[in-house]
Amino acid sequence: MKTSEILKSMCKVLFPFVSMFGLYVIINGHISPGGGFQGGAILATAILITYIIELDIVENLTLLIRIEKYAFLTIILIGGISLFTRGEFFTNFIPIGSSIVYKRIFLIALNFFIGIKVATGLITIISTFIEEGE
Amino acid sequence: MIRKVVILSMLLLILILFMLTIEDININTSARDYLFENGFRETGSNNLVTAIYLDYRLYDSIYEAGILLVTVSGIIFMSKKDDDVL
Repeated sequence: MKTSEILKSMCKVLFPFVSMFGLYVIINGHISPGGGFQGGAILATAILITYIIELDIVENLTLLIRIEKYAFLTIILIGGISLFTRGEFFTNFIPIGSSIVYKRIFLIALNFFIGIKVATGLITIISTFIEEGE
Repeated sequence: MIRKVVILSMLLLILILFMLTIEDININTSARDYLFENGFRETGSNNLVTAIYLDYRLYDSIYEAGILLVTVSGIIFMSKKDDDVL
């Protein structure tokens, strides 16, 4: 597939902004609209832009699958900590009477791991489809 | 031409029926009021959507992430050749 020079140059300008916006949406998921799922989809779009620039796909799918597996296990573990601190599964592990600032640690951490998981999953799907199409 | 007219009239009928039913529904807003008053204090999140999917309903969110994992493994399994399976 041939891509035009104008499209390549515009994508080179656009790539850092898209990836920065994805990270912003993930980290600020508890303040502004957005969150882990949406930010991960934006990050996967940034990787799709690199395909237009270089015509090179991500080859190492095994590493991506491994990262996604470990991110999913980390999400379950962070959710399970609340069994010891609050006595019930899958809720905030900071005690219920503490300050709002400490409760936000849980939200930021979980948004971050969900973002990594969704981004790696969508990158794997995109790379597989591009590889099949060639 | 006749098909387009039929489809348009059906869409208009659906729209009118939706508008009629929405007027009749007596919506119970107790859950919304509870979240609006206590959501920020209990979870520390300004965004109430995040407060629901990361604190009140985290169980649902974890299985949503699991569905994505299953989807990715299924797509890779179908696209791989016979000689190299992950």
